Amino acid sequence: MKCPLCGREAVTDLCRYHAESKEKVQAAYPLWVAAYGRIEWSLYLDNVKRNPQTGQWAKEIAEFLKG
Amino acid sequence: MNSGFTLVICEKPDAARRLSDALSGGAPRTELVDGTTVFRFNRKGEEFVVCAAQGHVYGVSDPSDERTVYPVFDVEWYSSDLVDEDNAGAAKRISAVRKLAAGASKFVNACDFDVEGETIGYNLLRYACGGKEKEAFRAVFSTLTEEDLVKAFDDLKPASGDGLARAGRARHAIDFVWGVNLSRALSQSALGSGHRYRTVSMGRVQGPTLGFLVEREQEIREFVPVPYWKVSGIFERDGKKFSAQYVKDRIETKIYAEKIREDCVGKESVVDEARKSTVQVGPPVPFNIGDLQKEAYRAFGYAPSRTLQIAERLYLAALISYPRTGSQRLPPSINYRGILQGLAKVREYSSHAAELLDTKSKPVQGAKSDAAHPAIHPTGERPRRPLDASESAIFDLVARRFLAAFGPSARRELAEVTLAVGEHEFRLSGGRTVFPGWMKYYGRYAGYMDVELPSVAEGDTLRVVDVSVESKFDQKPPRYSQSSLLERMEREGIGTKATRADIIATLVGRGYVSGESMEVTDLGLSVVETMARYAPSIIGTGLTRQIEERLEAVEGGGEAEAELLRGTVRSIAGQLRELGANEEVVGREIDSALTATVAKSFVLGKCPVCKRGDLRIVRSRTTKKRFVGCSNYSGGCRASAPLPQKGTIRSTPKPCERCSWPVVYVGGGRRPWRLCVNPRCPGKGNP
Repeated sequence: MKCPLCGREAVTDLCRYHAESKEKVQAAYPLWVAAYGRIEWSLYLDNVKRNPQTGQWAKEIAEFLKG
Repeated sequence: MNSGFTLVICEKPDAARRLSDALSGGAPRTELVDGTTVFRFNRKGEEFVVCAAQGHVYGVSDPSDERTVYPVFDVEWYSSDLVDEDNAGAAKRISAVRKLAAGASKFVNACDFDVEGETIGYNLLRYACGGKEKEAFRAVFSTLTEEDLVKAFDDLKPASGDGLARAGRARHAIDFVWGVNLSRALSQSALGSGHRYRTVSMGRVQGPTLGFLVEREQEIREFVPVPYWKVSGIFERDGKKFSAQYVKDRIETKIYAEKIREDCVGKESVVDEARKSTVQVGPPVPFNIGDLQKEAYRAFGYAPSRTLQIAERLYLAALISYPRTGSQRLPPSINYRGILQGLAKVREYSSHAAELLDTKSKPVQGAKSDAAHPAIHPTGERPRRPLDASESAIFDLVARRFLAAFGPSARRELAEVTLAVGEHEFRLSGGRTVFPGWMKYYGRYAGYMDVELPSVAEGDTLRVVDVSVESKFDQKPPRYSQSSLLERMEREGIGTKATRADIIATLVGRGYVSGESMEVTDLGLSVVETMARYAPSIIGTGLTRQIEERLEAVEGGGEAEAELLRGTVRSIAGQLRELGANEEVVGREIDSALTATVAKSFVLGKCPVCKRGDLRIVRSRTTKKRFVGCSNYSGGCRASAPLPQKGTIRSTPKPCERCSWPVVYVGGGRRPWRLCVNPRCPGKGNP
């Protein structure tokens, strides 16, 4: 099976790189919630996607999770 | 041909000429032997003939003609023109040395005194001179000044044992076996998967170095920033304003950052603590090649390979000592006074050098030493030809670093004031140089700034004029620069001082890394991923470092090179079996990465016209000419632009500031030039 984001071999539903990026995007959410007091998941993903510091694979995952 | 002369073998033609000038008193006769210039002269009743190898004239290869088969474990030395088509002149130079050797009664190896130089001289003495490697004398020098060369020939050493040469020959053989097998395995896998042939190489040091880059690339691409806030305040006393930072660098929540501002604005602050201290800052240690490469990158942005090339030119011009040294030490034998006297005659350094001559101080010494050569230093000679801008820059850096090494420690006064505003604390910090010491000699390279602080005592008050809260995000890790990568290689003990810069250049040349930003390409990622799966020790540092240590043992006579080569073959063989057994999968992965990398190399940037497509390099089917076109052509975008038809074209990360169209590097001529591809750019010719 291929990773839907980059075409590399998938380890689960994603390739190794995007799977690790997904874990990182999910792990950072509670930190953003604590930092701002409150932020919706969808708004969080938009912010992660737009942030110039976000890595390329993490941006692709944010877009993917946003659906 | 005369018989009974002394044949001197140098590494480079410039060194042969300079050596001949120095030993003959400036009047050597030149002759052509098989198209190679040689120098002939008499010295103290002895006839000398001096010739140059011009780099390696012998190289390793496998005895078979088959260039696609692996594994290959037999290694033989051949004339370099047979193993490297770019070295076509090697046969002529070997032939010249062979003819000269027939008439010589004494032989001197005067190649650079290091592993590579020793190997070049050893091979010529062994193969071209008929087995004279053991009876030849060795001329040992670290600069090409007349004084050093005369001294070296007045005190010729007997053949110094062949440890350096054996280590050099073992390194060439190991690197060949390593590189040829893995590169053939990878290239054949990609070819088997249908991709047209392209060399996918993997060297012994190249693998772990690419591994460092990939590890960092992964961190960058997976990075998710977390927000935080930074609080700073403006404080006023006696009409002067000072900026101070909140004691905690990072405030984790927005609500607390705003509370700090509300609590502090308009209040009085009290000096809780005011500390002043004076610290001594010692002079920087003399340059070894790695330090020089790092400093030149910091000061001028020069890539390490460029710095090495410039330093070698300065060495051949007898302006600096031999640059490929690991030493950070300047022994008295280099004649400190003589060099300072020489620098005192150069306008830029005259006052500093004269001052140091008066003080009779000794240079600071670093921890690293090198038995063959001292730290890089100026020779004190004046240039006989005009230096170009880059040569002048590196020479200035070397000269000032040498002067700085003799300077006394500098003294810096550091001050730190803690200001309390209720429960909150801010910190003012600054420093100034109270005694410049060595910094005066090192000039603009010293890099210390003065920041003034208020003169206050505990209990004094300052008014809080303003408090600002700045929203920040964690920064993704920086990509390696060529300089920081070199530093990592040094720290990990892989490669040598002579080869590290070339290995970085090879990674760029192979398309594993893009040159400007050191960003790893899909191909680089895929090669490391494949290696990590099927041949993990190839990209780990352990095996490579172990081989470096064993090569050092060969150099010192503690290990036989044949045993080291056998051990290396055993290590590689198992990894090759794994790669071979999975050739199909490996091929598919590398093939798709190759395709993606090639496709990306044609993309120049986002289309500024439709803002949807990418501007790409396209080749016309009818005229076969290349031009820029938008990938959104089918969507109606007709953005296009002509391109130069000659030279290589590389994208750059930043678009044109005037028109937002991509800017490219056009290479192939004497130097690459930047071009905004928009023919109607308002700043045409100056993007």
